Amino acid sequence: MNWIEFAWAMMAAASLTLGLIHLLVWFKERSRYAHLAFFVLASAVAAFSAFELSVMRASSPVAYATAVRWAHVPLAVVVLSIIGFVHFYFDAGRLWLAYAAAGFRLLALVLNFLTGANLNFLEVTALGQSTLWGGAVAAFPIGIPNPWQVVAQIGNLLLVAFVVDASITLWRRGEPVARRRAALVGGSLVLCIVVVGSLAAMIVTGTVKAPTILTPGFLVVVLAMGYELSWDVIVAAQLAAKLQMSEVSLRASEEKFRAVVESVPSAILLVDGNGKVVLSNAQAHVLFGHTGDELIGLMVDELVPARLRSSHESYRKSYALDARARAMASTREVYALNRSGTEAPVEVALRPIWTAGAMYVLVSLVDLTERRQMERSAVHQRDQIAHLSRVAMLAELSGSLAHELNQPLTASLSNAQTAQYHLAQHPTQPEKVSKLLAEIVKNNRRAGAVIQRLRSLLKKEEAQHHALNVNDVIRDALRLLHSDLLSRQVTMDLDLAEALPQVDGDRVQLQQVLLNLVINAREAMDDRKENRRIVVCSRLTERGGVEISVADDGDGVPPQDLERIFEAFVTTKSHGMGLGLAICQSIAEAHGGRLVATNNAGGGATFRFELPVRTAPESNA
Amino acid sequence: MLDSAQTVHVVDDDPDVRTAIEFLLEARGLKVTTYESAAQFLKSYDPAAPGCIVLDLALPEMSGIELQRALEARCSVLPIIFLTGRGDIATSVHAMKHGAADFLTKPVEDGALVAAVFQALVRNNELRAMRAERDRITERMARLTAREREVLELIAAGRLNKQIAADLGTVENTVKFHRANLMRKLDVNTFADLVKMVERAADFKKPAP
Repeated sequence: MNWIEFAWAMMAAASLTLGLIHLLVWFKERSRYAHLAFFVLASAVAAFSAFELSVMRASSPVAYATAVRWAHVPLAVVVLSIIGFVHFYFDAGRLWLAYAAAGFRLLALVLNFLTGANLNFLEVTALGQSTLWGGAVAAFPIGIPNPWQVVAQIGNLLLVAFVVDASITLWRRGEPVARRRAALVGGSLVLCIVVVGSLAAMIVTGTVKAPTILTPGFLVVVLAMGYELSWDVIVAAQLAAKLQMSEVSLRASEEKFRAVVESVPSAILLVDGNGKVVLSNAQAHVLFGHTGDELIGLMVDELVPARLRSSHESYRKSYALDARARAMASTREVYALNRSGTEAPVEVALRPIWTAGAMYVLVSLVDLTERRQMERSAVHQRDQIAHLSRVAMLAELSGSLAHELNQPLTASLSNAQTAQYHLAQHPTQPEKVSKLLAEIVKNNRRAGAVIQRLRSLLKKEEAQHHALNVNDVIRDALRLLHSDLLSRQVTMDLDLAEALPQVDGDRVQLQQVLLNLVINAREAMDDRKENRRIVVCSRLTERGGVEISVADDGDGVPPQDLERIFEAFVTTKSHGMGLGLAICQSIAEAHGGRLVATNNAGGGATFRFELPVRTAPESNA
Repeated sequence: MLDSAQTVHVVDDDPDVRTAIEFLLEARGLKVTTYESAAQFLKSYDPAAPGCIVLDLALPEMSGIELQRALEARCSVLPIIFLTGRGDIATSVHAMKHGAADFLTKPVEDGALVAAVFQALVRNNELRAMRAERDRITERMARLTAREREVLELIAAGRLNKQIAADLGTVENTVKFHRANLMRKLDVNTFADLVKMVERAADFKKPAP
């Protein structure tokens, strides 16, 4: 075995090995046709090297011609696989060029078997022996060239044109990898085809008396291609490693995100642009009574009560058009629907999250049930304290209140007895009695009204807001104080503005505030000998509210106490708990107002509070 | 016994009570005038008019007690029946001490009020008669000269004409002359009548009952 045999065997083996590696790659990833094409090319080169060796070792012209004829088969495969490789690997090149080059090569292969001794020779007349470097001997042909081989030459030119075109296209894409690929693969291919083609042509025409040594050229191409393909594989592996690492960190950050979501005290839902839940935390499961799996994929509209569903859907859609972080419950009542059918009032905050071009909305919900209950119980307590304070206040006024009842009773008794007297004295004149009866009826009604007022003040009821005429409330309350003020020689002046708008409030509680303020005013003047005077005033304020004020002529409030007197258990009186004004303040605040004390320029103090005017009359108030 | 010119003045700020009392008293044939405040009453007050007052204790501006004080200062002879819904003992004692005719509480029985009113009207008559007599005596006394008054005092002291002449350093005839004159001026005929009148005049100098 001389070195040529050894070298050609080695080249075939190397080519085949490289090809097999990429066959394996193609098996793992079937869409990588470039690798398949490379495998076919490498195998064809290996096969061609075997035929080339037999060509070099041909002992007779006939054997030579036959070997060449059969060597054209792997050669055609080499050409076709080059076309395929360039097409798939470069993803460039004009297709008609590719088809034309392939067509000419296949035509040449057909002619190879139909004309002459082979495509190159009509007849090989003799064989020359050339001695190569190292003493090896190879055969070279002497014969008549086959004119049909021009078909193969045209095919080669088309092939070069296709490769050059594809390389240029690839080069123009500008990326460094693409440019290197175009230069290395495209360059080596063009070089190889030109060298191999012209060498073959020169040997056939007898210009060069040498054996056809094409395999090393092909091997260069195979190596260049293999290098490029391997580079791709390496890059892919690196990418895979990077991907794995980023997956690990992604998983870590996702775990962090989950931990954060789970540790938030409020219920969290992540909702996609279509309103479907994609993520939820344990608090959300408790709130909605669904497991996490049930929540995923559920339309978020399903999680509000049926009566609010359509409005929720339209709200959600309009939100998607103008998504920004905002609170939902500030403008509207929102309820969460539990799977059991119960509803919970919730406060909802929305925050859009943009990931990979898709919008998600992070919905955090705070269950307000407990807060609402606490608010309700606070209101209930305030009402109860207000009631107790009312009862205590009326107990203090009992003497005067008895007098208020006593007046109509006195009148009634007197009228009734006069009627009796009339009937006894003048039984024939009953007409005088009817006037007396009318008086009796009037006075009974008057006594009934006093009792009604007292009963409403003593009744233990939760506050109920209605449309009220402030002046009616004032007059009604002050009637109860009439005799109390009279017995203390206090003059009461009413300065009530006409045609005031209605306010929204609880009649009993507002009367309580008024009674309390007037009693305080009266007590503030107990030390005065004369000119005891209280002015109760109602008016429309500049802000459009209705203000009620009670002014007295007493000593006023020490300036440092003007704020403190509204605190609970703060009192300037020798008796009393110091709760009256605190309760009045809480009532005023529950009515959207605030009780304020000021000292008058001319002496005495004025207490005033403003009530907002009733806005839209509710149909189901 | 009652004077038909006597008027019952009802002062009460409560219109219903006022009307009821008006009806009650009118049914008994009494003349009634009503007032809603002490000031209104004082404005039309006639010291000479006969009658009585049914007065509410708790009145705006000027209270019942204040009105009583004001009428006392004007030597009114109108007896006052206080009618109150919430009279305390201190107030009632004060009122009675200052000559209130009665102190009734609301609601009042018609019999009690009517009886009190009739009593008050009788008392008004008595007071007015006393006032008339006092005015008559006072007016006659005013006719006497200073000398005649001296003589009258000595006569009332029980001294004889002779003794009086000695006391005054004059003669008995002069005393007799003065005596005849003052008997005529005072419109008395007997010595007993003269003494009685002097005693009454002395009574009037004390504070009025």
